[in-house]
Amino acid sequence: MGGSNRRRLKRWLPELSMAIALVILPFVFDTWLGSVDLFTRILIWGIFGLGFDLLFGRTGLLSFGQGAFYGTGGFVTAYLLTSGRMDNVWLALAAGVAAAALFSVFVGLLALRRVGIYFAMITLAFGELSFFLENSPLSRWTGGENGLPGVPAPSIQIGGLDYSFAGSWPSYQLIAGFYFIGFVFARFVVLSPVGSVLTAIQQNPQRTAALGHDVAAYKLTVFVLAAIFAGCGGALLGIFQSYMPPDAFGLDTSGQLVIQTVIGGAGTLIGPAVGAAIWLTLRDLLQQVPAIGDLWKFILGLVFVLLVTFMPNGVVGNIIRVWLRFGFRPAVATGTDRPGDVTAREALLAPLPTAIAPSLPPRLALDVRDISKAYGGIQAVDRVSLALPEGRLHAIIGPNGAGKSTFLRLLACEETPDSGEILLHGIDVAAADVTAAYQYGLAKSYQINQLFPQLTMRQNLRIGALGRHRGRLRLDIFRPADGFAKVEDIVAALLEELGLTECADLVVSTLPYGEKRRLELGLALASQPSVLLLDEPLAGLSAVEREGVKQLIRNLRKGRTIILVEHDMDAVFELAERITVLHEGRKLAEGTPNEISGDPLVKQAYLGGMTVP
Amino acid sequence: MSMIEIERINTYYGDSHVLFDVSMVVREREVVALLGRNGAGKSTTLKTLAGVLHPRSGTIRFEGEPIELLPSHKIARLGLQLVPEERRIFGGLTVEENLDLAALSAPAPLPLAEIFAIFPRLRERRGSYGRSLSGGEQQMLTIARALIRRPRLILLDEPFEGLAVIIVQNLLEVCRQLVAQGQTIVIVEQNVRAALSLASRAYVLNNGHVVFEGTSEALQASPDVMNRYLGV
Amino acid sequence: MPTLPQFLSQAFNGIALGSLLALVASGLSIILGTLGVLNFAHGAMFMLGAYTAFVVLGHWDSFAIALALGALVLVLVGFATERGLIRFYYSRPKEDQILVTFGLGIMMVEAVRYVFGSLSQPVPLPSWGQGIVNLGFFIFPLYRVEVIGIVAVLLFTFYQLLYRTRIGLVVRAGIEDPLMVELLGTHVRRVFMVVFTIGAMAAGIAGVIYAPLAAVIPNMGEPFLVQCFVVVVIGGLGSFPGAVVGGIVVGEILSLTTLFDPAYSQAAIYAVMALVLIVRPRGLFGTMGRA
Repeated sequence: MGGSNRRRLKRWLPELSMAIALVILPFVFDTWLGSVDLFTRILIWGIFGLGFDLLFGRTGLLSFGQGAFYGTGGFVTAYLLTSGRMDNVWLALAAGVAAAALFSVFVGLLALRRVGIYFAMITLAFGELSFFLENSPLSRWTGGENGLPGVPAPSIQIGGLDYSFAGSWPSYQLIAGFYFIGFVFARFVVLSPVGSVLTAIQQNPQRTAALGHDVAAYKLTVFVLAAIFAGCGGALLGIFQSYMPPDAFGLDTSGQLVIQTVIGGAGTLIGPAVGAAIWLTLRDLLQQVPAIGDLWKFILGLVFVLLVTFMPNGVVGNIIRVWLRFGFRPAVATGTDRPGDVTAREALLAPLPTAIAPSLPPRLALDVRDISKAYGGIQAVDRVSLALPEGRLHAIIGPNGAGKSTFLRLLACEETPDSGEILLHGIDVAAADVTAAYQYGLAKSYQINQLFPQLTMRQNLRIGALGRHRGRLRLDIFRPADGFAKVEDIVAALLEELGLTECADLVVSTLPYGEKRRLELGLALASQPSVLLLDEPLAGLSAVEREGVKQLIRNLRKGRTIILVEHDMDAVFELAERITVLHEGRKLAEGTPNEISGDPLVKQAYLGGMTVP
Repeated sequence: MSMIEIERINTYYGDSHVLFDVSMVVREREVVALLGRNGAGKSTTLKTLAGVLHPRSGTIRFEGEPIELLPSHKIARLGLQLVPEERRIFGGLTVEENLDLAALSAPAPLPLAEIFAIFPRLRERRGSYGRSLSGGEQQMLTIARALIRRPRLILLDEPFEGLAVIIVQNLLEVCRQLVAQGQTIVIVEQNVRAALSLASRAYVLNNGHVVFEGTSEALQASPDVMNRYLGV
Repeated sequence: MPTLPQFLSQAFNGIALGSLLALVASGLSIILGTLGVLNFAHGAMFMLGAYTAFVVLGHWDSFAIALALGALVLVLVGFATERGLIRFYYSRPKEDQILVTFGLGIMMVEAVRYVFGSLSQPVPLPSWGQGIVNLGFFIFPLYRVEVIGIVAVLLFTFYQLLYRTRIGLVVRAGIEDPLMVELLGTHVRRVFMVVFTIGAMAAGIAGVIYAPLAAVIPNMGEPFLVQCFVVVVIGGLGSFPGAVVGGIVVGEILSLTTLFDPAYSQAAIYAVMALVLIVRPRGLFGTMGRA
């Protein structure tokens, strides 16, 4: 089989297997249990869970309030149909999903302001809020404690065919159809650049933002996606049961979703369905054992606690781990390797032009004018100016507490100066955020590695390059993550430039420090910046590694403006064209390396002259 | 007997190798300065001594006992006290509460009256919350927190950074008194002159390696060492 | 339009309810601030206190014994939970901590359901709590007055613990900077056990007090848990004054809105929570916060 055919099979194997499973498994359930209904229920939870898995499994956002959207979808659809306002079930379903999506925009804008614990609390609160709204104030429409009975099933009329999805098997077909479509869609998301960004957000949200991606927008997108799946699941529940139950909104529902996902395996897409299968079958089984009876939920709770403690990847997660250990590799986009042509590489990695070019010579790549920053009562940076023509390699040095880190953070747009301007090719970026700065062509490499540890080298660099090429936000769900030829070329060139081609497809957390440090540089380079800020690039490197990185920095100079903060004085004097010395937040001196080393004021500052006892 | 014997320690931040086979000796009643530019590994050495970090190899003996694997609270109880670079005053506690906390696990803490005798300014501010103190007052408090525990060894990490000249002079005077009373001190400072005015011996670090070891006089008499590793 | 007596009556109810919330929420908030763990089982612990009251008051007519035993049961449960489970989770991601306490909460609720069933268990008012206080222009139940009194004493004790004892000093410092506390010779982890136990105990005692006021059912803790979260968000994470003020505020909102439309009273607290999130995300008294 040819290489590309093999890849195509690998890509579509899960979908193929899913289709086969959806055809065969119902017969298994029908034979063993006498009815396919349990499997239908499992799939409804599966649909609910597909969205939740994107939210929690992939992006790391643990929401305890998904029931709010499940219930919204369910009740809007059920109300429209049972009140007679709508006849077409399909339309009502669409309306329910739309309502859930709308509600999630509102909740998301509030809840996503926080992360972790706060996010869990806030989503839980909103879930409960919807439960109360449904139960009381809106009970006229929702039926309050009684729910809404009499929800009809949809039907298809095409040509002469009139098929109604009422009844056990037709219901199964309807829901299995939706599940399959949902699964295919979720797979697209996961394998798209959007999916890569979501994974990046889970592993290192700050760096993801610094690599040009609008993290808040991506989070809201996946939150709404999860709500769409939830709303769909809820609507289908009502249709399947011909009845919409009030507890769809409750913490029990939201909690059960979380439990099932964890049991099945978060991040696997099918985890929630598998978890639902385990939970629901165990529930039915345990209840029939006389010794256990009503203790079934206690036992399941215990199983859950044990699983979280000892097997946090869940059932499917662990199966996949074993699978991988035996050498089966998933269809990771590996790209193709380029020949080592230096000039071609340079052309590929050359800085991209920024939005606006100034018309006034001399061309200043970076013009910093009198920026200041104070914290509390302390003036960390005091009216510092810096004028960098294009192509300059400029170092900033100074004793501890001089304000170097703060200055660099201001330049990188991690913080906003209290006063002054920062002009990047004539654009004032002082008030911009890190995402905007990256898009403008200003990138920073960090003193402490800020990488995506569970991704490969290639995937790391791809996240960086995608940021510049796709812009802040792009919902290109139907494109594979490696679908931008230009981006793949850049990533390959970067790997070559950094000497990392051999470990390109190895997971970063397994690699030694020297390689990680070079990747750190690579991430900043991936945006093809015109201004590069290097924060102690040699930190923690051995003597040999230092030489390598120094050479790398020399190579990077072509057409690029570089600001270097370093404590390795030898390196500074070797590399820099000009040096600025900061002391106590102010510019103390500026000049060529020779001028600086001969300057008595600088000597005093370093040796402690300024505060002589 | 030496109070501290550090033998070829290698410390890492994650997998960043920061200290390379660093060895040091500190004798009782000595004041030793640990110098170098930032990034050289001075703070890392103090943190390794205090148990905030643990070396991957090498040994540290404190009064003969190996401590390199001990947690920081046990090392503090043995009498090795770190005065951290960022001062780390508890902003929500008063000056007095900061001192009480420090005295909690000390077997025979210094009476508050004596602390206030050393730092009269702190007596004036005893009821103020930590977050309302000035930089100089915070530095006094963080040193006082160490002193109240009557430590055998004090590690001062950049005590004079960011302070006005007058306050630095004040603190230096306090330090001189402590030295006169026989307190053993290791001081990390970028202000080389201030450090050498207190210390009898000095180590110079560069990129995680010890590059000089000798008396203060010897160091001051070696302008090439001073310039190469301490200046620009 | 509600009359003045109605208004006062509800405002007063709000303090009674709010003070109980404050007690439960303080425990949750201190655990969160010190250990960094969001205890999803906190509502279940509250419920355990209420059931202890039910069991005790079925055998002895002493509310004091109910309080003491309720405290004891929760001390044991808290101790066992922290030592047996939570302490293995301190270095695991926050989401895992939430999941495991959530599972634990389910186990507690189901165990109680198995033993006592799902029906509401009646807990009688203590003999000294029966009757009303008649002030002429309005009347209110005596027990609720006493509730406010008891909770005030408990909160005061809590306050003394936090601000006047050595352990409280370590806790307050540990919330701010646990590494520095270690550098000053005190092992912070040992304090974690005490904090968790005290937090659990506070929830349990609140449960005992609340038992005569409402239906004692296995998942009675669930609404309290959610309301506690709202209190913590409003008051600020890890802040004792925040929990107290937040608790009273939420209690008052719940009570006063029932004057206008009982159906919307629950929604009102979430609206306030949303407002706080927009205007002042760290809460009234919160500092940076760990979340």
